[in-house]
Amino acid sequence: MFSFALNTLRHRRAAFAGAVVALFFAAALVTACGVLMDTGLRGKVAPERYAGTPVVVAGDPQSHFLKHKGNGKTKKKAKPNTARAWIPASVADKLRATPGVRSVVTEVEFPVLTAAGRTSGHGWESAALTPFTLKAGHAPARNDEIVVDAGSSTALGSRVTVMTPSGPGVYRVVGVTKEKLDHQSATFFASGEARRLAGHSGRLSAVGVWPASAAPAVRDAVRGTGTGAVVETGAGRGRVEFLGADSGRIKLISMGAALGGTSLIVALLAVVGTFGLAVQQRERELALLRAVAATPRQLRRMIGREALLLGIVAAVPGAVAGLFAGSWLHGEFVDLKAIPDNLPPVIGPFAPIVAVAVTVLAAWIAARVSARRVSRLRPVEALGEAALSPARVPWLRLLAGVVTLAGAIVMTIVLRSIHTEPAAGPLTPATALLWATSVALLGPLLARVLVGALALPLRAMTRTSDLAAANLGTSSRRLAAVIAPLTLMIALAATLLFSETTIKGAAAEQAKAGNVADYVMGPAVPAPAAEAVRRVPGVKTVTEVLHTRVRATSTPYNAQGVTPAGLASTMDLDVRSGSLNGFGDGTMAVREGLGMKVGDRRSFAMADGTPVTMKVIAVYRRGLGFGDLTLPYSLVSQHVDAPFGTVLIAAPGVPRATVAKAVAGFPGVGVQDGVGAPAKDNSTAVNYLSLALIVGFAGISMVNTLAMAVAGRSRELALLRLAGATRRQVLRVLRWETAVVAVIATALGSGIALATLTGFSAGMTGSASPHIPPLGYLGIVGAAVLLALAATALPARASLRTAPAEVLAARE
Amino acid sequence: MSEAVVLDAVSKVYGKGRGAVAALREVSVSLPKGGFTAVMGPSGSGKSTFLHCAAGLDTPSSGSVRLGGTELAGMNETKLTELRRQRIGFVFQAFNLVPSLTVEKNVTLPLKLAGVKADREWTAEVLRRVGLGDRAGHRPAELSGGQQQRVAIARALVTRPEVVFGDEPTGALDTMTAKDVLTLLRETVDELGQTVVMVTHDPVAASYADTVLFLADGRIVDSMSAPSAGAVAERMTRLGAYV
Repeated sequence: MFSFALNTLRHRRAAFAGAVVALFFAAALVTACGVLMDTGLRGKVAPERYAGTPVVVAGDPQSHFLKHKGNGKTKKKAKPNTARAWIPASVADKLRATPGVRSVVTEVEFPVLTAAGRTSGHGWESAALTPFTLKAGHAPARNDEIVVDAGSSTALGSRVTVMTPSGPGVYRVVGVTKEKLDHQSATFFASGEARRLAGHSGRLSAVGVWPASAAPAVRDAVRGTGTGAVVETGAGRGRVEFLGADSGRIKLISMGAALGGTSLIVALLAVVGTFGLAVQQRERELALLRAVAATPRQLRRMIGREALLLGIVAAVPGAVAGLFAGSWLHGEFVDLKAIPDNLPPVIGPFAPIVAVAVTVLAAWIAARVSARRVSRLRPVEALGEAALSPARVPWLRLLAGVVTLAGAIVMTIVLRSIHTEPAAGPLTPATALLWATSVALLGPLLARVLVGALALPLRAMTRTSDLAAANLGTSSRRLAAVIAPLTLMIALAATLLFSETTIKGAAAEQAKAGNVADYVMGPAVPAPAAEAVRRVPGVKTVTEVLHTRVRATSTPYNAQGVTPAGLASTMDLDVRSGSLNGFGDGTMAVREGLGMKVGDRRSFAMADGTPVTMKVIAVYRRGLGFGDLTLPYSLVSQHVDAPFGTVLIAAPGVPRATVAKAVAGFPGVGVQDGVGAPAKDNSTAVNYLSLALIVGFAGISMVNTLAMAVAGRSRELALLRLAGATRRQVLRVLRWETAVVAVIATALGSGIALATLTGFSAGMTGSASPHIPPLGYLGIVGAAVLLALAATALPARASLRTAPAEVLAARE
Repeated sequence: MSEAVVLDAVSKVYGKGRGAVAALREVSVSLPKGGFTAVMGPSGSGKSTFLHCAAGLDTPSSGSVRLGGTELAGMNETKLTELRRQRIGFVFQAFNLVPSLTVEKNVTLPLKLAGVKADREWTAEVLRRVGLGDRAGHRPAELSGGQQQRVAIARALVTRPEVVFGDEPTGALDTMTAKDVLTLLRETVDELGQTVVMVTHDPVAASYADTVLFLADGRIVDSMSAPSAGAVAERMTRLGAYV
């Protein structure tokens, strides 16, 4: 039987080409996502600045939570921090006294802004960690001396103004190092000055210990300090050096899983469609086999085997292509700064192996689903020459369709009550997919009803439109096969694109409505600059704003830290309950929809992992524009790496120039016109990239389904021409048919997107009207319709090139 | 002479209620082993339904069909398929062959589906008998219409079935090619002792048979032994076929 399947595949290459294309791209996309996940799971960030240090002691790069499970049990959960945790300087003293330790080097790290960009500041003592050595000049000895690295363009001996969290300062470059680092630049200060600039008095960002053999002793010693510090050697040093590495890896895992899962479902739908058509086109052959000797089971097994073969033929090269696609995708994500650039892609055997297995399985499932109808094929049908009658829609398919439809409706309603982005993010495309699946399943029925409605006007229009209406009316099954992928493409594209614009639109609107300040200063303002503005006569309120991310077990929140004094005159959060009077230490305001109410006490971890407990004093509406939580500025600024924020100024009657003059001494600080919504860590660009991939894939499957459908009708088209239709008329008939398909698919796809987006918008923004830019919508529909027309016209032209009599003479 | 196929009060009704159409009405007939039987009748007389019911391709609404003592009524589709591939051969009007398979593979297809190893000598013998001994490796598209029908006959014979059923086997062929195919069927009866039942509307084709059954309006209305084309044509005219 296997050789028989092979034979059929060889002979019917054209009919299966569509399925092969869909499977190839599915395997490639799944492999690419697998590479991302693999990188997330096994990727290692090599240490750079700590490369010359065998043992690194640093603050824990993770927050630890106890998750309470329902049955009284607890589970430990560790989540990556986004800011550095500092350790007490006493740890270094203890290590110096530890037997086996030869030398100990302490390190402080702090952000430094220069005219050339951002670098990190360190004390010269920590140069040994890399190690950095001097190429020219000498080590900084005085407080106004600095050493720059080989990558800096600043000349030896020049004086530069740099900005640190404690304000601007002028320094003289007294030395240049021999080395430079790939992923960061370093500026060295005299040790005492570095400690002062870094803040965090009495604390260190890391301690380097020599030699490597001291690691076990160091571990014991550190455990005894009770500081929660971690001891890292080898590749583990990269974790504490690059804090973004851990969260980048987690992001890769979740992005890879979401993208891979979605593409797999799209692939499954596409392959079911193409296999369905392939089976339909060889119905006569299958009926003959039934009549001659094959049991329904044998036919189903045969089709299953064909699918296995096809799956392997398509998935293996697809997986190889996917490896390249994976590293390309990785590069794109790095460019978008979604993941750190020093986390190289892991190209291992797992991703392609899993992708091949999953794709082959999907092909097999798709084939078995399409082969179901073969069982109902009556052998007698092989005997007649007449075209086979359309079978009624099988009840199992109807049932599955109704169940998925009910599921889609429920999901849409559930979406209305989902207010957090991590939950709504994956649920929204899933809802659209569920809708599209039910359309695919109920397709034949929908097609019959909708075509019936559209056929009436069509019938009356022209000679060719009349013929198109007749064709459509008699082939609801074929029609369903082409409507489904087009609907899927439109629905998915619109849902993914417009959920993004809905959030952004609402956030911008809220940020605009909530900004009642006269001036906004940014983009990276240190506290002394805000202080300078406060001293300007006539300035009523200066509100410092700092954005950060905090986390309660598995839920991350966007938070803003604001200075409480006079907040009402610069920022209107639209408070719904409670009041911001008395906002200060130990209290916070939260946006509605998070399940918190006034009076609640909530514990969470700050960006550097420090646990805090805050009391809710107000619940506000404009969360998208300002942040999920509003915390006191003094708290947030202590737990971020770079306490540079924006500043809102209420100064009625004070000219702009006066304000600008106050901060003239601060490089990079300026008065801006508007205030932006809190940046969402580049997720927009990343989402657009994923969107492009998934929609592109849906487009490919749509094109190949349409092309297959037309290619399978060459006999019918030849017959039309023999009956007197010109080539132009045949093409026009097809164009009419595609137009009807496009109208139906656009209606269904738009309906799906609108239903999903309305639910999404109601949940996320509180308003049931999603933000849909008309041009974007027209672009999606236009692109889909043009693709559909091209996918019909090109294979039709190809099949019309053969003389009609020849087509008919070629027996099946 | 013993019976190959026995139909007892077989009726077949399509549809339900007022729209019901009876294609066969209480047909009872015995088809002898080793005989060549032609079934004739005007369009709509029920001759195709007769063949489908007798061959286990379709199940009658009532009555009994026995193939060499095996009762077909009440068998499920899988059992019927297994019975067909072991004990019945088919030749259809057109679309007899799987286009992707060679002549030889098409012929041995029923054996392969049944999981039986093909007897190479017998396959070669059958192909030689139908005059295609040198075409075993060709594909259907490379053969003429008559040759394709002969491949179908070879396939029908390869399982050494109890009965070979033909549904207008010469319907799509020209007169000369049809003559070759009918001669071939006649030879299988005379030389191999094969039982053949053939539905046709062509009096010339019917004249190759031992017995002709005439169907009209779902009933067997007459039969004729050792028929000549002229006598069959005249009979058909009286049944209203050529009015």
